[in-house]
Amino acid sequence: MPCERKPMRYGHSEGHTEVCFDDTGRRRTVRSQYEIKDSRFIVTCGNDGDVRIWESLDDDDPKFITVGEKAYSLALKNGKLVTASSNNTVQIHTFPDGDPDGILTRFTTNATHVTFNSIGSRVAAGSSDFMVKVVEVSDSSQQKTLRGHEAPVLSVTFDPKDDFLASASCDGSVVVWNIEEQTQVISWPLLQKSNDVTNAKSLCRLAWQPGMGKFLAVPVETKVHLYERGSWDHVSTLSDDLLTQPINVVSWSPCGRFLAAGSVGGLLTVWDVNSKLCVERQKHEKGFTVCSLAWHPSGSQIAYTDTEGCLGLLDGLGTSTADKNTTKQVAAKKPAKDYDDLFDDDDDRLMDEGLSDTKSPAKKAVGWDDDDDDFLVPATGRVKNRGAFLDDENSLDTGSLKLGQDKFGDNNDDAGSSVAPAAPPVAPLRPVYEGPMPTPPQKAFQPGSSPAHLTHRFMMWNFVGIVRGYNDEQDNAIDVEFHDTAVHHAMHLTNSLGHTMADLSQEGVLLACPSTEELASKLQCLHFSSWDTNKEWMVDLPKGEDARALCLGQGWAAVATSTLMIRLFSIGGVQRELFSLPGPVVCMAGHGEQLLVVYHRATGFDGEQALGVQLLQFSRKKRQLISGEPLPLSQKSYLSWLGFTAEGTPCYVDSNGMVRMLNRSLGNTWTPVCNTRETCKSKSDHYWVVGVHENPQQLRCIPCKGSRYPPTLPRPAVAILPFKLPLCQTTTEKGQMEEQFWRSVLFHNHYSFLSSSGYEIDEDAQNLSQKEQQELLMKMFALSCKLEREFRCVELAEMMTQNVVTLAIRYASRSRRMALAQRLSEIALEKSNQMQEEEQEEPEYSSTRRSSGYGHTNVMAGGRYSRRHNQQEEEEDEEERGEELMEEEDGQEMEPEEATETKKRVNPFAKEASSPIKPSPTPIGKMGRANPFKVPDSGKMSASSGQPRVTNILDNMMSSKKSAQLSSSGGKPSKSPVLKPLAPKPKTKTQSTLLQMAATKTANKKAQENTEPAANLQKRPDTPPPAPPADNSENKRPKTGFQLWLEENRKSILADNPDLEETDVIKEAMGRFRTLSTEERLSWTERAKGQSGDAADLKKRKRAEGGEGLENENEKAEADESSAKKKKSLDPSSKLSVFAFNQN
Amino acid sequence: MVSFVTARPAPQAAGTVCSAVPVGRKFLNTHTKKQTDMDPSEVEFLAEKEMVKIIPNFSLDKVFLIGGDLGPFNPGLPIDVPVWLALNLKQRQKCRIIPPEWMDVEKLEEMRDLERKEDMFTPVPSPYYMELTKLLLNHASDNIPKADEIRTLVKDIWDTRIAKLRLSADSFISQQEAYAKLDNLTLMEINTIRAFLLDTLNCMYKLRSNVQ
Repeated sequence: MPCERKPMRYGHSEGHTEVCFDDTGRRRTVRSQYEIKDSRFIVTCGNDGDVRIWESLDDDDPKFITVGEKAYSLALKNGKLVTASSNNTVQIHTFPDGDPDGILTRFTTNATHVTFNSIGSRVAAGSSDFMVKVVEVSDSSQQKTLRGHEAPVLSVTFDPKDDFLASASCDGSVVVWNIEEQTQVISWPLLQKSNDVTNAKSLCRLAWQPGMGKFLAVPVETKVHLYERGSWDHVSTLSDDLLTQPINVVSWSPCGRFLAAGSVGGLLTVWDVNSKLCVERQKHEKGFTVCSLAWHPSGSQIAYTDTEGCLGLLDGLGTSTADKNTTKQVAAKKPAKDYDDLFDDDDDRLMDEGLSDTKSPAKKAVGWDDDDDDFLVPATGRVKNRGAFLDDENSLDTGSLKLGQDKFGDNNDDAGSSVAPAAPPVAPLRPVYEGPMPTPPQKAFQPGSSPAHLTHRFMMWNFVGIVRGYNDEQDNAIDVEFHDTAVHHAMHLTNSLGHTMADLSQEGVLLACPSTEELASKLQCLHFSSWDTNKEWMVDLPKGEDARALCLGQGWAAVATSTLMIRLFSIGGVQRELFSLPGPVVCMAGHGEQLLVVYHRATGFDGEQALGVQLLQFSRKKRQLISGEPLPLSQKSYLSWLGFTAEGTPCYVDSNGMVRMLNRSLGNTWTPVCNTRETCKSKSDHYWVVGVHENPQQLRCIPCKGSRYPPTLPRPAVAILPFKLPLCQTTTEKGQMEEQFWRSVLFHNHYSFLSSSGYEIDEDAQNLSQKEQQELLMKMFALSCKLEREFRCVELAEMMTQNVVTLAIRYASRSRRMALAQRLSEIALEKSNQMQEEEQEEPEYSSTRRSSGYGHTNVMAGGRYSRRHNQQEEEEDEEERGEELMEEEDGQEMEPEEATETKKRVNPFAKEASSPIKPSPTPIGKMGRANPFKVPDSGKMSASSGQPRVTNILDNMMSSKKSAQLSSSGGKPSKSPVLKPLAPKPKTKTQSTLLQMAATKTANKKAQENTEPAANLQKRPDTPPPAPPADNSENKRPKTGFQLWLEENRKSILADNPDLEETDVIKEAMGRFRTLSTEERLSWTERAKGQSGDAADLKKRKRAEGGEGLENENEKAEADESSAKKKKSLDPSSKLSVFAFNQN
Repeated sequence: MVSFVTARPAPQAAGTVCSAVPVGRKFLNTHTKKQTDMDPSEVEFLAEKEMVKIIPNFSLDKVFLIGGDLGPFNPGLPIDVPVWLALNLKQRQKCRIIPPEWMDVEKLEEMRDLERKEDMFTPVPSPYYMELTKLLLNHASDNIPKADEIRTLVKDIWDTRIAKLRLSADSFISQQEAYAKLDNLTLMEINTIRAFLLDTLNCMYKLRSNVQ
């Protein structure tokens, strides 16, 4: 038997109204001790002074008795109608005839409440003159006056045994009187004090349990206190979470088992007193204050009236009288109706704080099947279907379960029959749906606007400016204000059409109003950027079509209408396109040529919204970038903001404060980038997002204390929130860097998108960002190294650009991770190959490559970067690079001299050709411009293969040696250096300079010693990109032990052999050095390491020297190059220190 | 477009101040030439270096000034700038000024009450509270809610403090103390009393030494 809330009907004029049931129906005796009376009439009185007698709620022509100008209270028993009227009397009328039957008593002011005792022999009346009178109905002269209240009496009630009388008063006390002795038995100061009944917070209608009168129910604020008769102890409290406003009136069911309460907010609650559980909740359909409650004598109905004079009825209450095991049912009401309430009437209010105390959108019917006596167990706990539209912390638990019992208790023997007449089971008529409840679809809204029902509201707050709407008594106007006054001056418009939607762009203001009965829905555009004199146009939408959402892009405007269509206009007012949406629109956003539409894809269930999203681009080639994919939202949330970042990436915010951004590089997925709720101080605070910027990374929003929307006054200030990807373990260093890295990657995706769609991009910023990313990668690499996670290192290296990989290789070899370094060099090689391929493709496909490449920021971006760096002062670097590149491309193997010559020849081309496409020059400063893979590649390959493809003799020597060493000593200092292959080298070179020689040799030396971790760099490649000449790379080495030794011993050599040429000196020196013991050589090497700091100076000097002779001699040029190389090679090593981690 | 004043107008030279000294006290001037004295406008000048939040309504890249870089300015986005710039922009209607946090009726009332209750000087919200109040209220009262009340409150605080200062100066002299320690005084307050106090002390010293 579900409880049904019948629609309210008009009963009396506004004001206090009371209701009671007529109890004069036929009496039936059920199970001997209970009486059930059929009631024929509902009787009400109200402010209009009439007592109306309703045959039923649907009675259109109730009988009425006029009892005075106003009727304050009434009581009906045994055919006698007692009323308190405005002429300060308590009168009797016969019922149902309505004949006056005399005046029972008088007060100096009006009586506030009258009531019969249980048998109807006495009437008690409380009055505003602080007195309570108890009068015999049969003989009005027998009066007892109870004095003691110090303020108007609110209510009176008789003890069913007639010994006591309880009264509540505006002085805050609830008093129990002994009627015979006219004394106070006990007084509780329970209520808030007030000076008059009209000012009292609550009417505080007391009620004494019928039958044995065990309990006295006193409504105290939002709870009901039960006091035990006799001991007058406060034995229990009935409460309910949903009750947030004071209870006005309580009333016992005729059986004494249930207690109904009506509250100020219009909430009707029924408790089972035994279990103290709430068994029924209903909400006044308009939320008016309930001021009177009456149970039908059968206990199956409750009639109630509100302060607006309306009468309502709850029918089908399962709380019938006879037995515990009666049939009970409280089932779900039609949810659809609730949804209408929620989303049509006061949708916006719901979204707003504090007003969301309407009823749960979904009620759940719970079936109970246990035999327990305690069958009325309400389903506690929160219903799933909440939170979506109601604010958790602010709503009064509104979403929580409509308690439902769907139980047919065991209808054993007599129990079932006993109640049958009064409360016929109606369950079969109303099948109860127990599945997931559909979520009411959220209404269309304008992102960046506050709810339309506010009189002062933001109609739009975006990048461009603010549109405010005022709609109060004096004024209906719209204010448009621009953040940048250079765009346009502020505007003030009278809103005669009643626009409710607005959007604002640099070009115009778009406004729309819904249709009214006479007028069609209109779209108005203030096109202030127009160069002609007509700055405004207006369009009527077809009849029956309402604008639901609108947005402005660059040169166009779009309106989504109630007919599931989107109409596109040019900003000047030309109708452009028209297309249908798959579902009702939720909101739209425009940016440049992009249009983002969110619509209802389907019905969501259990609080979820099922939204779909479309992203269209109206560039020359119109296309749909996202075609109706589901829009991911947080659980049980709805969309609260939709828009583009200033850079043009779609972005949205849901009601849980989660900001998500489109990740174009990951197949147009949505990545959460910020949770605004995390930064809120209190649960009810929110951030109202007004804009998102990717560069700098800023989430612009307005902090709203205790609400979702900011007020228009005082003018709210914009705050900036940082973004934070919700990665795991962001408290750790690793997590932090990962978060930074991916955030950086994500927030720079727009560069590739913009460039692919033909916009100019800020290359500086882009390069900065890439540099940042690479630095982060390198840091992560170093961290992983430190943690001995080599596999992870390699994974990281795969994300690096090629030159950073070389850095990483250095780092790895410095920290003596040879295996890692090897793997890294493989990666480096791969990357260089890849890059080469791209380079080759580049000339033809440069544009496509760029567009295709976005997302792969790591590797690809180098080419564009280098352009800017083609500076004069770096000519040498460039030259060399160009040469090397050419060399690699040619794949030729050359002797060093030849190589040099080739280089010279091709230089101009190399430079030009490479400048637009140069792959590697990267964010990591100068060093990036060195041919990054030459050295490491070679070393690695030789090491791994051991069968190098020889590029020149030196190479051959080096690699074989190295591989031997690696295999034997695994990177530890080797003891038996073999320098033989050195001999041929000088021969091949006719005019080697000292520098070159020295460098070569030192390199060799180092290769032997291999004590320096960086020795790996000397490894040479044997595969496809044939390595450039060895000396180049070797010259990079800082001074070696041999060099030092040579410096010290040169004089003695010269002294011994004064006629020697420079080359011979070195040869000789070589020989001598070799004769030294291993220990000595090692010590020299150590010294050399210690001196490496000085090397830079030295090199500079060399470089200058080299520059002088450049025009004449190739050799010198070569030396020059090598010195330049050296310089470069130094940079990275010093750079490394940036990434070094403290070992602690 | 926005053009900046790159140089702030400095207050008048101190020399002009001296000429304003009453003739009757001229003999003192010979003794203590007032190089050390600051004109209130000089103090105000110092106060103008304080930062204040503004919401610009124009867009401008970073500007590089000797005192430091300012900007970038984004329309609608709050940014900290020195008071002198804020006022300049405000006068050209290029920004809205967000008053400092302490410039709030409730906080100032609290402060005033505390100042009245305590015998000592209480810490002030800003070392330049008086100057800032004056500057901001004179130039940007439309951006500051309850400007008049704030003006009154700050004046009250000022008066209370100056009264205390005079009182302590009085007791300092009457008790012939050698030194006194006063905490939480602002530059403007010190500057207000300095000329008077030093002159007085000098004068008294002279008189005393003549007596002996």
